[in-house]
Amino acid sequence: MNQPVERRRSAVANAVYGLLNPIPFGFFVAGLVFDVVYAKTGTTLWGKGAAWLIALGLVFAVIPRLVNLTQVWITSRRVSTGADHVDFWLNVVAIVAAVLNAFVHTRDAYAIVPAAVWLSVLTVTLIAVGNVVIAVRPSAQREYAHG
Amino acid sequence: MGKSLSRTTLVIACTTLLAACAEKASQDAEQQAGANPSLPKAQQFLAPPMQVPDFVGWKDGAAPTVAPGLKIEKIASGLKHPRQLLTLPNGDVLVVESNGPGEEAVTTPKQLVAAMVKNRSGKGAKGGNRITLLRKRASGEWEKHDFIGNLHSPFGVQLIGNTLYVANTDAIVTFPYQDGETTIRAPGVAFTDLPSTVNHHWTKALQANPDGTKLYVGVGSNSNITENGLEVEYRRAAVLEVDVASRASRIYASGIRNPTGLQWDPTTNRLWAIANERDEIGADLVPDYMTSVTEGAFYGWPYSYYGQHVDRRVMPQRPDLVQKAIPPDYALGSHVAALGLLLTRGNALPAKYQNGAFVSEHGSWDRSPLSGYEVVFVAFQDGKPVGKPETLVSGFHSKDESQLFGAPVGVVLDKEGALLIADDVGDTVWRVTAAGP
Repeated sequence: MNQPVERRRSAVANAVYGLLNPIPFGFFVAGLVFDVVYAKTGTTLWGKGAAWLIALGLVFAVIPRLVNLTQVWITSRRVSTGADHVDFWLNVVAIVAAVLNAFVHTRDAYAIVPAAVWLSVLTVTLIAVGNVVIAVRPSAQREYAHG
Repeated sequence: MGKSLSRTTLVIACTTLLAACAEKASQDAEQQAGANPSLPKAQQFLAPPMQVPDFVGWKDGAAPTVAPGLKIEKIASGLKHPRQLLTLPNGDVLVVESNGPGEEAVTTPKQLVAAMVKNRSGKGAKGGNRITLLRKRASGEWEKHDFIGNLHSPFGVQLIGNTLYVANTDAIVTFPYQDGETTIRAPGVAFTDLPSTVNHHWTKALQANPDGTKLYVGVGSNSNITENGLEVEYRRAAVLEVDVASRASRIYASGIRNPTGLQWDPTTNRLWAIANERDEIGADLVPDYMTSVTEGAFYGWPYSYYGQHVDRRVMPQRPDLVQKAIPPDYALGSHVAALGLLLTRGNALPAKYQNGAFVSEHGSWDRSPLSGYEVVFVAFQDGKPVGKPETLVSGFHSKDESQLFGAPVGVVLDKEGALLIADDVGDTVWRVTAAGP
């Protein structure tokens, strides 16, 4: 019963997570910047750029989200904390918002404004809050990778 | 291969699912045809609604359905995406076989998915980039001859004197033509350039005025609603007038999103066009239309539709231009995709079809239920369309809207006054005549 924590963690999963998890956040932040510039200028390049950024952010989010799901709720269930749960759910809502936003971005020209901007703000804010929650929790509990 | 196929299926399934959430059309075609169509409020969608029947083509012996008093026969098949027809003075019929040049860059994730779905219908098949000549034998059979090859997405074709003008997607080229020829070997000579960036709407419709001094060119917009930027819309969504002697061109009328089917009405001496209006603001918006084209007039695209109904998707907005916008003459129904027009003042069909316009509707891809996919007749009185469109030829898709057999495009009268219809999905030319007594 009293297994060492190390035996429940996979170094590979941690590595994959550490490598991939920051990528979607970067895409979504860039998407937000592009959406704001498009809303301000109406220059279609920015709106189309945002569409790609959000779509790619979602593609890169698949693996780290699955790793996080597995770790928080299955493999490291016993040691996952409230912060991990909060972070998990913030990310779930962020991904839902980003999926909706990808669809909003299928609209033509200025029809994406203002919904695109608000959904981008929501996505970035939720992931950012999750990152902060994880960053400020007591370091003794940093037993496994998380988001 | 298998993997990419299943991915395609998945993508299509998701799209269909999302589109299914979108509202169905609330108006029938009747309501939206005529001089004063009812226009519901513009909507926005999470995913562009799409409904596209699957390509199956015409099974042996199958043919479109015609209205009572008419009969239909196949006069040519095995063509490569026949789009436009022209009857030459000696009765030979030219068939322009063409499709888009496929030069439009993929600039959004949406384009990838939309192209996959639309191409299921067979409307995206490769065009022949050539013109075939059909000649009627004494026996009533039609011979096929390779007339001109190596064209570049041609659409409009006109004969003035001994010169054949072919509107490729990027330029008008000319060929010398002698009466009775079945093949032209001479290379095309560049006549004048046409707007050719992007070529989102690639067709260049062509119509000469009666004395052969001017050519009118229908140039479609480079986007649905300016999503490719306003800078690529220069000399787009317009009818250009080309002076045949000097080759100089100017904008004759503008703000017509995708003008095709240019026709000259000899009785009123006016130019007519059909146009495909904008998509993705509702199943019942915006009705495609038929209109006389007034010199110097602005018909609204992209800033407004049907006169002064503002489209909020365009940035910056231009209230000054919206004020100038005039409504078209006659609505044909939303998303019917009118692509062929023939004004007639006499033909070999029954009496009620003698004075009016034949309009072929290529059919919708973003409306549920489907609209278009038929050839209709609109009666004229005093040079103006009156009443509702009457279905002449239909049955291009299965009753459950899942299968597509064909889709009508170009319409002309042959020398005997029968109506010829190019079918670019069924790769066929149809001939409609009065049924025997």
